[in-house]
Amino acid sequence: MTAATALPAPREPINRWKIAGIVWLAIGYVFLFIPLVVLVLFSFQANKFPALPLQGFSLRWYEKLWRDGTLIDALGHSMIVSPAAATIATILGFLAAYATTRFEFKGKSLLAAFLALPILIPPLILGVAFLGLLARVHLSGTLFSVFLTHVVLITAPAMVVIQLRLAQMPRSLEEAAWDLGATEWQTLRKVVLPFALPGILGGWLLAFTFSFDEFMIAWFVSGFDPTLPVAIYSVLVAMIDPSLNAIGTIVFAISAVALIGIELLLLPYVTEKNVEEE
Amino acid sequence: MTMAAANTIIDIEPAARMRTPNDSPLKIICLAPTLVWFGALFAVPLIALLWAGFWRVENYQTIITFSLENYEQVAANFFAKSRYGLALVQTFWVAITGGIFAVAFAYAVALAIVYAVPQRWQRLALLFAIAPFWSSYILRVYAWQTVLSKNGVVNSFLKMTGLDWARLDVIFTQTATRIGLVHYLAPILIVILYVTLTNIDRAVIEAARDLGSTRWQVFKKIILPLSGFGLTVAGSFAVIIGMGDALCGALLGGGAGQSIIGKVPLFASMLISDYASATNLPRTAALATILVLAMLLVMWASFAIGERVRKATAE
Repeated sequence: MTAATALPAPREPINRWKIAGIVWLAIGYVFLFIPLVVLVLFSFQANKFPALPLQGFSLRWYEKLWRDGTLIDALGHSMIVSPAAATIATILGFLAAYATTRFEFKGKSLLAAFLALPILIPPLILGVAFLGLLARVHLSGTLFSVFLTHVVLITAPAMVVIQLRLAQMPRSLEEAAWDLGATEWQTLRKVVLPFALPGILGGWLLAFTFSFDEFMIAWFVSGFDPTLPVAIYSVLVAMIDPSLNAIGTIVFAISAVALIGIELLLLPYVTEKNVEEE
Repeated sequence: MTMAAANTIIDIEPAARMRTPNDSPLKIICLAPTLVWFGALFAVPLIALLWAGFWRVENYQTIITFSLENYEQVAANFFAKSRYGLALVQTFWVAITGGIFAVAFAYAVALAIVYAVPQRWQRLALLFAIAPFWSSYILRVYAWQTVLSKNGVVNSFLKMTGLDWARLDVIFTQTATRIGLVHYLAPILIVILYVTLTNIDRAVIEAARDLGSTRWQVFKKIILPLSGFGLTVAGSFAVIIGMGDALCGALLGGGAGQSIIGKVPLFASMLISDYASATNLPRTAALATILVLAMLLVMWASFAIGERVRKATAE
């Protein structure tokens, strides 16, 4: 594992394979970024249909977006549901991460697999399953049902991030607090929680991003108050409307801010050495 | 490690046991909320899904019973009328071919990152490659629609440059579905394959080079066999995700997109349009169960292949 880093850099001069690799990488990046670039570009263009030639800078689609109001309303719904779901998921995730980091118990890896399952099962299947249950107990068709189901989906990502941070906490830190007379509960609140804070914030942001972009489950369980991706879908199947580009640019901006937040919060800790290893 | 040892001691001598930091009410208190939430809102719905396939709808009322009606309906329409069977075949075809393209694309990108990018830029190159994963999926599909559509970005660009003969007529065919799928899957697959490649010991490659192998030989005899398991994992992952995806098929494939199989929708797209038009939850649940079974089949097959590949590399 470490042998790779110990070796000196490849000594040969420039060769064909490397150039081919770089060229392929460039093509790959173009493919990966083309939809994002197109979407943002045409949100600022006067074109009625996203096509060339460009007709010049314009903010008309943002104005239209604002005037129509439906997508903005949906953005409002998403901005209620996703932070709420992320908050509950982070609380659940923190507690579970603490329990799995500190305690030994039977079936720990089974538990981890169980909690990760919602991410692995296709959202289509989960959507039908959630709807089947929620419709029976008359909880479907509201923002509250989206909230309930999104928590299930996003607890695992939040938990993993917090686990990463907690794994860096020396056990002696907690032990010292106990020896000095703190109860376990006080230690959890005053020692573990502050230590885990960057992980908690990062986990929250990650959970928020997952929920904010989630479409399929929300499509099944949300009703007349759609979340933003659901509202985008209903516009999308009906007509070509460049205000989708405008809302899309706003969504990308929100996701980008969340991601930069995660990077800034977590990067210093990911590179830090694992203190726990004995 | 030490904790596990402590546990066994406790098991042997329960009477003389001392209270350790491992016995704390916090263990239960911390796990309980998550377990309750997941039990009620995850385990129960999954069981309900399997069960709901046997319910019936009469006069717009769902009746909880045990009836095979939904499955009989699906079986009767397997190749006639709604043609669920053909949709399933189409799903396999598009998911498998799309998965192959996605893995090939991602493998080449991962190879380029690991072997052509200088060490200190690799992390950045990887971060850059997976950045699109963090943007909204539905918006990416929408953007692909504007890129690929008849008078979309690509075609209007070709027209402008006088290359009209090369125009791209892929929108609302399963080719467009595959493009969307490859784009969706690529970041995840790149991560899987990047990890696979970085785990290959560079010393082995250096040794082969020193002994006079060409780069092509190194790739064929060392890198490719050693990435076999990673490629299998990535491939099965791609196929399973592709089978469960409804968005690309609906928005880029236009519902019933053309492919070699014919103008047949994907099973997943069919499922959501079926639900949107009939709101027949029991039948939707039955269809979802069938899709789950198909996915389990693929999973089982890929486990079998994975085992074989692992054995082959171990030798």
